[in-house]
Amino acid sequence: MAALAALAATVGGLLRLRAAGAEGQWRRLRGAGLLRGLLQPDSATGVAAQRRHVAHFTFQPDPEPQEYGQTQKMNLFQAITSALDNSLAKDPTAVIFGEDVAFGGVFRCTVGLRDKYGKDRVFNTPLCEQGIVGFGIGVAVTGATAIAEIQFADYIFPAFDQIVNEAAKYRYRSGDLFNCGSLTIRAPWGCVGHGALYHSQSPEAFFAHCPGIKVVVPRSPFQAKGLLLSCIEDKNPCIFFEPKILYRAAVEQVPVEPYNIPLSQAEVIQEGSDVTLVAWGTQVHVIREVASMAQEKLGVSCEVIDLRTILPWDMDTVCKKFREAAYGKEELDFGRRMTVFERNSGFKNNTVLQLKINYIQQCQKGKKNDSLQGLCMGSR
Amino acid sequence: MRKMLAAVSRVLSGVAQKPASRVLVASRNFANDATFEIKKCDLHRLEEGPPVTTVLTREDGLRYYRMMQTVRRMELKADQLYKQKIIRGFCHLCDGQEACCVGLEAGINPTDHLITAYRAHGFTFTRGLSVREILAELTGRRGGCAKGKGGSMHMYAKNFYGGNGIVGAQVPLGAGIALACKYNGKDEVCLTLYGDGAANQGQIFEAYNMAALWKLPCIFICENNRYGMGTSVERAAASTDYYKRGDFIPGLRVDGMDILCVREATRFAAAYCRSGKGPILMELQTYRYHGHSMSDPGVSYRTREEIQEVRSKSDPIMLLKDRMVNSNLASVEELKEIDVEVRKEIEDAAQFATADPEPPLEELGYHIYSSDPPFEVRGANQWIKFKSIS
Repeated sequence: MAALAALAATVGGLLRLRAAGAEGQWRRLRGAGLLRGLLQPDSATGVAAQRRHVAHFTFQPDPEPQEYGQTQKMNLFQAITSALDNSLAKDPTAVIFGEDVAFGGVFRCTVGLRDKYGKDRVFNTPLCEQGIVGFGIGVAVTGATAIAEIQFADYIFPAFDQIVNEAAKYRYRSGDLFNCGSLTIRAPWGCVGHGALYHSQSPEAFFAHCPGIKVVVPRSPFQAKGLLLSCIEDKNPCIFFEPKILYRAAVEQVPVEPYNIPLSQAEVIQEGSDVTLVAWGTQVHVIREVASMAQEKLGVSCEVIDLRTILPWDMDTVCKKFREAAYGKEELDFGRRMTVFERNSGFKNNTVLQLKINYIQQCQKGKKNDSLQGLCMGSR
Repeated sequence: MRKMLAAVSRVLSGVAQKPASRVLVASRNFANDATFEIKKCDLHRLEEGPPVTTVLTREDGLRYYRMMQTVRRMELKADQLYKQKIIRGFCHLCDGQEACCVGLEAGINPTDHLITAYRAHGFTFTRGLSVREILAELTGRRGGCAKGKGGSMHMYAKNFYGGNGIVGAQVPLGAGIALACKYNGKDEVCLTLYGDGAANQGQIFEAYNMAALWKLPCIFICENNRYGMGTSVERAAASTDYYKRGDFIPGLRVDGMDILCVREATRFAAAYCRSGKGPILMELQTYRYHGHSMSDPGVSYRTREEIQEVRSKSDPIMLLKDRMVNSNLASVEELKEIDVEVRKEIEDAAQFATADPEPPLEELGYHIYSSDPPFEVRGANQWIKFKSIS
């Protein structure tokens, strides 16, 4: 709801500015009066809403994939288990470790794996995140496949040094003599409603500025299994954040056999011509809803992109769409992009900056003096 | 009719009995104090430990009993409120561990400092906050000690630094507080608590090193309740002698279910620190009846028999009660009266906690930064603005 209101404001504001003869400056938007009145959520009017809000989205499953063989109905944690099962079966050096993974994990992502593959391959660690990641780097450097679990993404910070200073830079500083590419770190991520300070964080932005690692956030069970398998097989250390609110809420048909979804490729979920909406993880479902509401209520055609890999991100797909939006239409001749994510963070600024620079360069080439209206916001 | 008469007579006799029993209590001669033998503590790098006998006065005994009973009832009430969904989020209960919080408080001064992890309701109470404030904080209301914004894991009071969510993160903080104590020169000590799970975190050892190097008046206390969430100590630690883990820091292992043992050990440790000898480590061997948190039934990694055994043999409140009654420090009726009073106090507090309004929406943005003049913070969308006032 909040996202829709923002979207409406974006469009309304832009139309207004266009009429006023916008200059080539990036401007923060103010909500257009009429639209604001129509679509403003309760809380914005200042009325204290005492009722409790639970998950403000509906998970939208993708159609059953045809090209990977037999599929089975799975939710997100079952898809993760399936991916881990496939990995351990295929790769005899693969090991899974972390806090409480032996009995199945606090989110049941590793249920049954210890029984199937033995206690040498699926084992618990004591309570020490820095130790877990450091140990994982060591395992990976010898060539074995290490799949480390951090119990909640909020606890990844003691391991931040190991990830950023050790894992990310290993290959570079040894001149490719050593690397810890077979390390994958998995962590439950994101808001769940009752998590408060330390069970709700989305720390992908902290890692997004670190060359040497890959950061991935899936939006659904089918995506999760394919992306996780790609992360495990990728020859670079990867961090795989799993939206915890989707563990049970997201149910889809997922192939039983292993398959890969390529990293660093964003997916255009829905084509559109007026506004480009970029998101990842849980927010993808929010903006899908927003896109359909916008189409219905405002007649705005939205492009929805799931970024999937946060680092290195698919600049081409996002910018291409952006430029198409800018140049493809007669009536609206400047593009709009809105990134929707759960936390206000540096990554947003980076994206905006990159797109802005990109766009401005294109504008200058084409000698258009339109203003760039990039609107970034956290929804929810 | 007969039933009604019986009920009426019961009520009347009950009313009549109360003042009579009070008269009885007042007229009975109680001992002023009694000497008890307590378990000897295992020592690490110490020549001698706390005394093996201690004197408990009637006054102290009653006070400890009341405090422990209050903590017990408060935790059970929190359990009830959680199941009724009046308390939400996370709730880590410390029933079974009352001797630790009350015993530690008995061994130090109110001007000393204390910091612990998230199983903190008992400590919040012993450090001076009322049950009302604690329950209201659990239910997230205005009357709560953190104005309803902290919840179970983030309660603070004077000289009580919380209430910390990240496991082990509070230990270096405790070492820092101890540095401040030393610097201020007021002879204060800092009690830095952590659990058996946290004992394997790296930052604990960093804090040990700093405290020992600079001889900080820090008492490191490992509250060993045998299980780190669902992992037993044998499965998590290479060495379960947590009192020896400080290596170069002397340590003692204390029976954490006996409040007198805890009190004497704390007095000993505080005296050690105050004399400038540096940090000391205490391991309190205790037990929690509930699971790790309200979402953990607590029986998938330990047997009900084990829990029952601890409850029947080592319950801290029962141990104190038996001691006091057997040495004529108090009577069973007197203690029962205290139970009734405590129950009423908790009921009132629960009423308050349920009825108090939630903090107003404007306060959502307060205290993010300290800033003058207040600046605006954006809420979940660009029109929701909160003032961050601090």
